[in-house]
Amino acid sequence: MNNPGPAACSIDEKGRGRGAPPERRVHRDTIFVEDGRLLSQQQYPGEQFVIRIQAPQCAAAAVPGSFAHLTCNPERPMRRPLSLMRVDAKAGWIEILYKIVGPGLAALSQQPLGATISVLGPIGNGFSAHPERPRTLLIGGGVGIPPMVFLAESLKTRRAGTPWQPLVLMGSEIEFPFRARPSQILVPGVPNEAIACMPLLDDWGIASRLASFGGFPGCFHGYVTDLAAHWLASLDSQALGEVEMFACGPTPMLQATARVARRFGVPCQVSLEEFMACAVGGCAGCAVPVVQADGSLAMKRVCVDGPVFDANAVFPPQVS
Amino acid sequence: MHVPLNPSLAVDFCGLRLASPLVLLSGCVGFGEEYTRVEGFSNRDAGAIVLKGTTREPRLGNPAHRVYETPMGMLNAIGLQNPGADYVIDRILPTLDFTETAFFANVCGSTIEDYVEVTRRFDASPIDAIELNISCPNIKEGGVQFGNSPDMSARVVEACRRVTRKPLITKLSPNQTDIRENARRCIEAGSDALAVINTVMGMAIDVKTRKPVIGNIQGGLSGPAIKPIALLKVMQVAEVARPHNVPIIGQGGICGADDALEFIIAGATAVGVGTALFYEPHCCKRINDGIAAYLAANRMESVGELIGSLDAPKKSVQACAC
Ligand SMILES: Cc1cc2nc3c(=O)[nH]c(=O)nc-3n(C[C@H](O)[C@H](O)[C@H](O)COP(=O)(O)OP(=O)(O)OC[C@H]3O[C@@H](n4cnc5c(N)ncnc54)[C@H](O)[C@@H]3O)c2cc1C
Ligand SMILES: Cc1cc2nc3c(=O)[nH]c(=O)nc-3n(C[C@H](O)[C@H](O)[C@H](O)COP(=O)(O)O)c2cc1C
Ligand code: FES
Repeated sequence: MNNPGPAACSIDEKGRGRGAPPERRVHRDTIFVEDGRLLSQQQYPGEQFVIRIQAPQCAAAAVPGSFAHLTCNPERPMRRPLSLMRVDAKAGWIEILYKIVGPGLAALSQQPLGATISVLGPIGNGFSAHPERPRTLLIGGGVGIPPMVFLAESLKTRRAGTPWQPLVLMGSEIEFPFRARPSQILVPGVPNEAIACMPLLDDWGIASRLASFGGFPGCFHGYVTDLAAHWLASLDSQALGEVEMFACGPTPMLQATARVARRFGVPCQVSLEEFMACAVGGCAGCAVPVVQADGSLAMKRVCVDGPVFDANAVFPPQVS
Repeated sequence: MHVPLNPSLAVDFCGLRLASPLVLLSGCVGFGEEYTRVEGFSNRDAGAIVLKGTTREPRLGNPAHRVYETPMGMLNAIGLQNPGADYVIDRILPTLDFTETAFFANVCGSTIEDYVEVTRRFDASPIDAIELNISCPNIKEGGVQFGNSPDMSARVVEACRRVTRKPLITKLSPNQTDIRENARRCIEAGSDALAVINTVMGMAIDVKTRKPVIGNIQGGLSGPAIKPIALLKVMQVAEVARPHNVPIIGQGGICGADDALEFIIAGATAVGVGTALFYEPHCCKRINDGIAAYLAANRMESVGELIGSLDAPKKSVQACAC
């Protein structure tokens, strides 16, 4: 719903307002519609694709956790919500990782280079990392990996002020959408078998580890949330007090993440998915139940009230 | 003599002057400010905006999933999620800019008393018009249960008519046997205008899980898929409404100027845009421009000249299409 304003600027004789004062209209003109140009489309095993689209307005305004709503195919005109994995505000491109589920994303994968793809974005509230908790634990599952890459990259560039120490853990049951390799970065507290990393992050100096039941070399054999619990269990209470968790992935993984965070007393933000129509807050199609500070239940829109929520508010103890 | 024409898009609707015949439809644009998030979108591009269906008490709505794409359309079963009439009137209406466009309320309830109470509250508010949603397919009680019976429809309209002097619009359901009879009864009961049509009931099944995709099992179908149905209903209702000078907001699948023109020719004074905004948030500008270009090309000065100008042989409509 709208943010209620305290009072309208002015009221006419029929009692009709002229709208909220400007400071309550900060939502206006924050999402852009652009004719994006497909710059590259790279295929990975398991029908996974990484695409780069020229969409300068979206790129300039994006934050880690925000997503774009793309027209995949004029024959199927409903847009598809996809997280932003990387953006380059200077060069004006956005990068997305997706896995085909049905006809919409299948059509997107068939788009030739140079094709025009309508981009509505950036949308949503991103993750907020707190400097007093510099040990950021990022957990991405499957196609929930992209926002974690974005967050990690932003922590790298923000490093100057706070000594951020991000650790990115990724889980996938199909091959990872990159060529994993042994990490150059030591991470105390993770099982010895877990040495594989995402090369991009390693090159940035950001520690990452992989988990899977798929038996891939160098990966932790198990759930990514078990890997996270291993690492958290290795920390003393002072170090735990400096940890903040962020997660994106399938719902069962997010629920498990919320449980792990609670077990270790660590604050946690999760990025949710729900079917969407408008993605700008107009249809309430994407609403999910969220526990409010006073314990009451409210329906919040994943698109503009999220997609990032506090883990305890969306997966309260009794439910998860 | 060729005088370049600059046709006016303004239409007269129940004594209100709408700057454009385009009306943004209930449930698609939240409570009036949502689409202003989109750069390049302006509430000024619409003649009016209908707010989300509002009930006496707040409603949390239906479980997920609430929306799903189907061929050339979509299903929705939101379940009338809304913060309740008091919140809408006291907290949201004061934040809307009525100089940008007109705002209509969309009223729904489980009982006639609910409709009356919410209408009464909106009557005492700055809202420009009140639309009675007796055609919502997505709630268990009320909504379409009223709308599918001409008797019940008329009773709701009559009762609400007593508590408001604002323009009263009745939104008709396509999910009924004789929409003409219903329209006639609503007009007799005091409806100033009619909105035709609400969504068509439908469903989708996930063959992998064999479960309905929509949490509510059934949902309302909207978008281009329902346009031919909507257009026929508008033509039929227009036959009943025209002698009473009762205007129609034609809606269902309008995506472009040609769609809008078809509805106007069939008899609609205003035309609604809902699902098309999800496809293309900037579509209003394009549709307005297209209507203006058509009027200019046909040497018409206003939309009014086109309304109900359908050139169809009389009495040729067969009930059976086989
Ligand atoms: C905020 C957000 C971010 C996302 N980020 C990514 C990402 O980075 N990479 C990625 O691969 N996927 C992501 N998804 C999921 C992705 O949107 C769906 O997989 C996609 O919409 C499926 O479309 P389809 O045509 O392939 O499948 P279909 O099954 O044909 O889709 C039919 C309808 O269901 C909807 N739908 C089906 N599954 C989902 C789902 N999981 N979430 C939302 N809508 C769904 C579609 O949007 C469409 O309306 C994200 C979803 C959300 C809400
Ligand atoms: C997501 C969604 C929510 C809707 N909610 C309402 C509602 O609250 N009240 C109402 O009268 N109609 C509601 N409708 C119906 C629309 O107002 C409109 O009549 C219908 O969608 C047909 O127009 P369209 O094809 O242009 O979308 C809703 C439609 C959609 C798609
Ligand atoms: S998708 Fe319409 S409100 Fe979120």
